[in-house]
Amino acid sequence: MEAAANTDALDQQFKEFIQALKGAVNSALPHLKDDPKIVDKAIADCEEILGVVMEGNVKEWLS
Amino acid sequence: MFTDKVEVRDFDKTDPEYQDLLRRVLAIQADCEIGGPNLYVKDILPNAPTKLDQLIVARTAAEEMDHFRKMAKLAGDIGVDVTYTLSRPNQERYVEAFRGQITTWEDYAVFGFLIDRVGRFQLEEFLDCTYLPLARVVEDPDIIREEEGHVDFGTNLASEFAGKGGEYKERVQRAVDFWYVKGLDMFGNSKSYRSERYMHWGLKRRPNAVARQQYKDEIDALILKMDLTLPDPMKGRLYT
Repeated sequence: MEAAANTDALDQQFKEFIQALKGAVNSALPHLKDDPKIVDKAIADCEEILGVVMEGNVKEWLS
Repeated sequence: MFTDKVEVRDFDKTDPEYQDLLRRVLAIQADCEIGGPNLYVKDILPNAPTKLDQLIVARTAAEEMDHFRKMAKLAGDIGVDVTYTLSRPNQERYVEAFRGQITTWEDYAVFGFLIDRVGRFQLEEFLDCTYLPLARVVEDPDIIREEEGHVDFGTNLASEFAGKGGEYKERVQRAVDFWYVKGLDMFGNSKSYRSERYMHWGLKRRPNAVARQQYKDEIDALILKMDLTLPDPMKGRLYT
């Protein structure tokens, strides 16, 4: 069975999205009470990453 | 009843019906996994009540994306490209529950309470299934533990809304009324021929009607415990 084109590339791209999102969340959680700037930056990063994913422009990601 | 265990290298040797059913279920599963974030990220991430809630929404989306990734890899390995599920409009999703947009916090809560719970049921269908790469994905403790985390968050939040009474309780009741039948419908038609074939090939464990009833028993008890009213289980149903 031949894998669909870009299977591994898509998998790798998603790993990077997920790692970036979880990294942003984990960096913010300890600072909820003491550093709103770190938290705001993390939330903005999450919004940016998720915005790209929800747009779903796969060809652009994998080019 | 088919009981062989199939690895990806053996996929070509399996019956064409087995191949069709596996391709179909993986495409639907991938669509549902990415369908969740597409419902709530746009409106709920920027507007969740607190910064902690915003971070929880982002983490939930990340976990659903990881479930999508795993299903997309399984599908891709047997030649099914599911990248179209990343760009299709919500209105074109396979499952009706994913065709709208979540715009309120109580709907987000009840989505976790009722619809992510269906997600957990669907993943459990694949435990010990005959396609080993799929069985391994769902038997990895992360995927079901994460899904349970989403369900628990939604259930606790819905319960908090209900416990506050007044307008809060009315709002969460409306959300339960909306999502309840969509959750029941997600199990498909009770007399589905395809459901029997999934079981024949060892790709699913329970008939649709059995899984739906188990789900209904579970949520009905929780809805009553929240002192909410059980919606009419037949009103607006697409599949019975």
